[in-house]
Amino acid sequence: MSALHPRTRRTAGTAAVLGTALALTACAGGTDAPVGEPETPSEPVDLRMTVWTADETQLGLFQSIADAYVADNPELVSSVTFETIPFEDYTTALTTQLAGGNAPDLAWIFESNAPEFVASGALVDLRPVLEGTEGYAYDDLVPSALSLWQDGEGLYAYPFSNSPFAMFVNTDQIEAAGQPNPVDLVADGRWTFDAARDIAAATAADSGKQGLVVRDFDYQAWENLATVWSGWKAAPWSADGTQCTFTEPEMVDAMTWFHDAVFTDGALPTPGTTADFFAGDAAMTITQISRASSLDDSFHWDIVPMPEGPAGKQNVVGQAGVGVFAAGEHPDVAADFLAYFTNAENAEQLAAYFPPPRQSLLNGDSLAAANPKLTADQLEAVVVEGVEDAVTKPAHKNFAKLSETVRAELDALWVEDADVEAVLADTCSAITPLLED
Amino acid sequence: MKSDVKADTTSDVLSVAGRGAPAEPPGAPGDGVTRDGETGGAAPRRRGLGARARGRLTRWLLVLVLAVLSVPFVFPTWWMATSSLKPMSEILRRVPTIWPQDPSLEAYGRVFTLQPFAQQYWNSLYIAVLVTIGTMLVAAMAGYAFARIRFPGANALFVLVLVGLLVPSEVTIVPLFRIVNSLGLINTHWPLIVIPVLGAPAVLAVFIMRQFFLGLPTELEEAGRIDGLGRWGVFWRIAVPLSRSALGAVAIFTFLKSWNLYLEPVVYLSSKENFTLPQALTQYVDAYGGPMWNVQLAATTLTVLPVLAVFLVAQKQFVQGLAHSGLKG
Amino acid sequence: MATASAAVRRDWLVGYTMVAPVVLGSLAFVVLPLGMVVWYSLHEWNVLANTFTFVGAENYQRMASDPGLADALAATVWFSIGLVVVNIALALLLAVLLNQKLPGTTTFRTFFFSPVVVSLVAWTIVWSFLLQADGGINGFLEQAGVQGPNWLRHPTTAMIAVIIVQVFKNVGLNMILFLAALQGVPEELQEAARLDGAGAWRRFRSITLPLISPTILLVSIITIVGSLEVFAQIDVLTGGGPGNSTTVLVYYLYQQAFRFNEFGYASALAVLLFVIVLVLTLLQWQSRKRWVFHEV
Repeated sequence: MSALHPRTRRTAGTAAVLGTALALTACAGGTDAPVGEPETPSEPVDLRMTVWTADETQLGLFQSIADAYVADNPELVSSVTFETIPFEDYTTALTTQLAGGNAPDLAWIFESNAPEFVASGALVDLRPVLEGTEGYAYDDLVPSALSLWQDGEGLYAYPFSNSPFAMFVNTDQIEAAGQPNPVDLVADGRWTFDAARDIAAATAADSGKQGLVVRDFDYQAWENLATVWSGWKAAPWSADGTQCTFTEPEMVDAMTWFHDAVFTDGALPTPGTTADFFAGDAAMTITQISRASSLDDSFHWDIVPMPEGPAGKQNVVGQAGVGVFAAGEHPDVAADFLAYFTNAENAEQLAAYFPPPRQSLLNGDSLAAANPKLTADQLEAVVVEGVEDAVTKPAHKNFAKLSETVRAELDALWVEDADVEAVLADTCSAITPLLED
Repeated sequence: MKSDVKADTTSDVLSVAGRGAPAEPPGAPGDGVTRDGETGGAAPRRRGLGARARGRLTRWLLVLVLAVLSVPFVFPTWWMATSSLKPMSEILRRVPTIWPQDPSLEAYGRVFTLQPFAQQYWNSLYIAVLVTIGTMLVAAMAGYAFARIRFPGANALFVLVLVGLLVPSEVTIVPLFRIVNSLGLINTHWPLIVIPVLGAPAVLAVFIMRQFFLGLPTELEEAGRIDGLGRWGVFWRIAVPLSRSALGAVAIFTFLKSWNLYLEPVVYLSSKENFTLPQALTQYVDAYGGPMWNVQLAATTLTVLPVLAVFLVAQKQFVQGLAHSGLKG
Repeated sequence: MATASAAVRRDWLVGYTMVAPVVLGSLAFVVLPLGMVVWYSLHEWNVLANTFTFVGAENYQRMASDPGLADALAATVWFSIGLVVVNIALALLLAVLLNQKLPGTTTFRTFFFSPVVVSLVAWTIVWSFLLQADGGINGFLEQAGVQGPNWLRHPTTAMIAVIIVQVFKNVGLNMILFLAALQGVPEELQEAARLDGAGAWRRFRSITLPLISPTILLVSIITIVGSLEVFAQIDVLTGGGPGNSTTVLVYYLYQQAFRFNEFGYASALAVLLFVIVLVLTLLQWQSRKRWVFHEV
């Protein structure tokens, strides 16, 4: 029974179940506490941050930063706990905690949830705290990295991770097929989506394996196709999120290209076929550079920036944010801790795992120290340049519903004789009411 | 060989519990042994030789059918266990390898270094044991009372309890979380013990026990009352011992359910030392959230094999427990 | 009642004491949460925005005009019928085979039961590998000269695949229940019928089936109720697709609550789910008199 510790931060309720039940239905009100310099609480508080990483070294790093903060601010905080929730169930568990009136003080937030969280008012505006924190250098933050997490002037979460999408290539397979090395094409300025398609198709035909894999897409998570259609400057909806743009010519062209690359050229795996690049099952893959850690020495590989599309090269990053909940118990203390957690010095430590949104840290050398599998040149080409003017994957404050609806509609596109324009038109009529919501 | 024991117990328990079952003719258990044991040698006398050969052929054909049917049941488990010996890249290969090319126990070592796995194993084990014991107790009492004692409102209360059988856990997880939270019991094991014992998960157990007691002849209990035992005495000294088989079935059901509980621990528990196994399994991920399949599968194998072993040993008892638990009626 | 003697009253007290834990537990952990769900269902509740507004029956009215719900109900009907029929037929078949006292019975029994203890996650993932267009199953079919379908990408085969994977996972439990029931069928009845010249199928239909019909009732209730709770398998295998073909009610409810943050509407769906389960169970229970051989 030794494991039955009641949580220390709350005294165990003495009220009987039935007695408290009446009070339960009343919704816990979020206190819109003004955030600024935290007032010293009557006694030091315990902070709790929910994360989805379970990696011991990452958690160890977080804890060491937190311990230093506690040591500096004993009157504010007595401890910081990092609570791991499994990736797959992260949103479910976080939502249950919010619904149950047990909001964490800080939480990691998925990129796709960003506009919803930002618009909901659930998060505290961090900008005054970050700007007001001495030595924080708010201006050092890359503006394009912040845009997803802003609403008006306010910044509602800090994008601690900015991992650009890039193309990994299996040079063994490409060489065996007698195809040009993408690295050379990049140097010649001939690295285009069409070139990538041709290399992928020829290599797949030669190896009997797969060509190009858009990782995590699997014909379900369609938002990952943003890495492709961005080369056409296409987007699913207008920047303000009110108009469907699936039927615009750029998107029709991009989707037609993709459909034909799959079904005519055999450059990408067909639906229902998965191939793992890191297991040696595919010639190339589009994914975030952070996945380099999955590579072992079973084949030779290289990494190149995203190819150019008809509209030029467009960088895409995948982000993750961390925010402070207004409904938490100590939002002002939590925001102060966040300012410490992500200051220049600590951001450099975190850069070992998460490319930071700080201009000063985005150079090949400082990133190479943290990423032993990649050279400074590779990092310079892919990360540093990849974060410049990068767009994020599609996001919307109604994203969950949009994502589900678009997935269901696009299923009609993933057959050999699909009518691309008709499917995209259907998609627009299905999501227009959701965009207007 | 073991089948002799089965035939014996079967008829033995039948004659105690055997509501409506015809009296065992003498020698029936022995008959069972011959039917059961050697397939060819001791076939019933009245069948001719040709029929016997045909019968034998049919039996081997049936065994073949069973063997083929086993494949989809066994393969995933086999894959899971053997993949825990493979490196990551081999696990993810599209055409699964039946046997690791270069087996290694490395993943098993990492299971214990990455997390307090032994502590988590203990958590799951002690929670499951407490839930099992508690459920057996609660269900035996309630099942007995609903079956035997005629008190006003018994039917209404039984219907009330049965509602729990009909509520999917996804439906009540949010209100239950609010209740647990308001009691300050988040990140403790209390909700994982108390709610299953008293709430919806216990209802099936109550139902099984009630059906069992309904099918139990009352003579023994009446004898007990004549000997001066009160209700509690009859319950503890006569009814509970007689219901061993049904309790066994309840125990296995309950243990498995608690052992595999997933959504609830994920929602209620937040620190690794408090995690239970199904939840802990999801924590073996690399720095970027991608699962470390070999370690995850090694940990999964460690959680599955002991339970399978227990089933292998206890299955006869289990089947008979159910056979006479009144589930048949 | 008024004339109940002291002894009878004492007996009542014992009865109340014995049922007290489970009755109070049901009140606290089943009835109260259900009541709260009903209360939530009368509100528009966005957890993120922290809004909780009374809207009366609006969530229920919304159901009538929600095309997603209509699809989900249709998928649920197909899924549940398919699951119950396949599950019970296979469980019965396995139980009958295992009851023949064939060599290796103990091993086979363990084989068929083993998926019940295997973790759902591992189980579903290996099946998702096997069901790929070029996965193990189609590889096997190819050997037999059959071009296998792209299982998880067509509405019909996706539904079949989800059902089959779920059946293999849990049929072992039902098989054990049937096996137990079969062992309770007196050999003498079979023997007598055999002497009367009844064939195996005839004996099964007119002796075995009626005698185990109460178990069939119980198993079908448990399986139907269980089929309405299947969630993780669908999430991993199809994500509700293709289209909405495998979005069953509980998956839809989960999406509304935890993905779309519509707790009020999700609560109304939960009430609907509960009512459906309740009605189905009552119907099955009512119909038992017609096809269940003997009564408790």
